[in-house]
Parts: sequence; C-alpha cells; structure tokens
Amino acid sequence: MYILKCVIATKIEIMAGPETDAQFQFTGIKKYFNSYTLTGRMNCVLATYGSIALLVLYFKLRSKKTPAVKAT
Amino acid sequence: MNENLFASFATPTMMGLPIVILIIMFPSILFPSPNRLINNRLISIQQWLVQLTSKQMMAIHNSKGQTWTLMLMSLILFIGSTNLLGLLPYSFTPTTQLSMNLGMAIPLWAGTVFMGFRHKTKAALAHFLPQGTPIFLIPMLVIIETISLFIQPVALAVRLTANITAGHLLMHLIGGATLALMSISPSTALITFIILILLTILEFAVAMIQAYVFTLLVSLYLHDNT
Repeated sequence: MYILKCVIATKIEIMAGPETDAQFQFTGIKKYFNSYTLTGRMNCVLATYGSIALLVLYFKLRSKKTPAVKAT
Repeated sequence: MNENLFASFATPTMMGLPIVILIIMFPSILFPSPNRLINNRLISIQQWLVQLTSKQMMAIHNSKGQTWTLMLMSLILFIGSTNLLGLLPYSFTPTTQLSMNLGMAIPLWAGTVFMGFRHKTKAALAHFLPQGTPIFLIPMLVIIETISLFIQPVALAVRLTANITAGHLLMHLIGGATLALMSISPSTALITFIILILLTILEFAVAMIQAYVFTLLVSLYLHDNT
C-alpha cells in the first residue's frame, strides 16, 4: 500500500511539475535569502553554517588570546 | 542463566578460531544462481521473488536511482536470510551485532548523501530548510535538520540490532521459563509454551519486516538524493 502511494505521489508530481523558483517574485535581500525558492533556502542554510563556523572560530581565537593566570 | 542469556551474542569460535566471516557468508550459498534459460523450480521461485521485490522497490526511482537495484536487492536478501537463519536454535545472528549493522548503514547512507551533493548540490543543501519556514525559526530548523540527517544511519543500525536482539532475548527467556515451569506447574508451562509459539511466529515476521524496512529506508534516502 505504501509503495503504491509512493508511485502515485511520484506520478502526480511528474504531472503537476515540481515547484519552480519562477513562481516566487522577491526583491531586495529576500531575493537571495528566503525559505521558498531553492536558491533562497540554500543561501539560508549556507549562512547558518557560516555563522556557526565564525562563532566557533571567534571563541577559539579568543581563548588563545586570553592570558594565562599570572603566578604570584 | 545470566551467562547463558547473552552467550548466543558472543563472537562464534570453532576450536579457538573466529568463524564469524564464514557465518556472514553462509546465506549466499542458499541462493543458487540461475545458469539456464529455464531453471528448476527453486531457482524460478527465487527469481520470481527477486523480480517482484525489485519491481515494487525500484518503481519510484529514476534512472539514476535504479542503478542501485543490485545493491538494494542484495541488501534485502542478505538481511532477510540472515535474520531468518538466526531463528534456528543455537545459531549466531550477525545482525544482532551493532558493529555489523553500522557497517551496512553508514556506507549506504553516506553513498546516498554524497550522490545528492554531487548531482543536485543546490537541492541537497536546500533540503536542510523546509519550504515556508518563518524567518526567526530558520537557524534552529537548519540545525535540527542537520542533526536529523546525521541520526539517520545510527537509527537504521540501532533499529535492526534492537529488534533482532530483543526478539532473540525474549525467546530465550520465555523458553527458559517454560522449561522451569514444567516441573512446577504443567498448565502454566503450557500457556508459556503457547506464548513462545506465538512469539516465534512474530519473530519470523519481524525478521522479514526489518529487512524490508532497512532496505526501504535506504531506498527512500536514495530517492531524496537522486
């Protein structure tokens, strides 16, 4: 039954056509960062990964710069 | 009793030498390869089964996905036959070992993911963000989707290991209980024995279903990435 549903879903998708980016008209920064178009979603994902990488880098470099406790 | 419960999951040895490789290879000799145009009944039934399964499983895939047909059919036959052979008394079941199941799940899952990133990089990356997500939820959802991606092979392996191990343990326990109750109360032992019969029937079903579920999930991951 599940396999039949998969096959039918695939056929409906082929008939209807996969969603294209052209049906969404964004302007400004939303053109590149949105959660509707393929490009927008990809850029959001890459931006999230990039910010996490920057955060990790920042904390790693900050801990190297922090001076060790001075001996008294 | 405690030592015996887990003895069936220990690495099998014969005269001190580990024979687990032989046990893993054993199911393959139970599937004779067709070498004639019209084969005997056993091979014809085997061919019919494989064709039925492959048609059902590979129908949803495009041409790229269908290159995995041999891999997925071998997988379902291997796991199914290994699980069923493990229901024989005193046999060792390789699929109770997490190491083996991880060894199957991780390369297959990784293969599908790398295929997706290689052939459809944009779609593979966009997959980490469901369509229509509100803006303030985007970072959290990307992290959650990434975690759920990396959980997939672990879930595949642990699902198979847990189901088969739990079934074998239950059979061992209920069988031991039946034996112990025979001298104490034969009527209770009879009820326990009936439960054991029903459990064995369930384990037959679980053995085949788990093979199907493992292969189907790998097939779905492949479908998402091709």
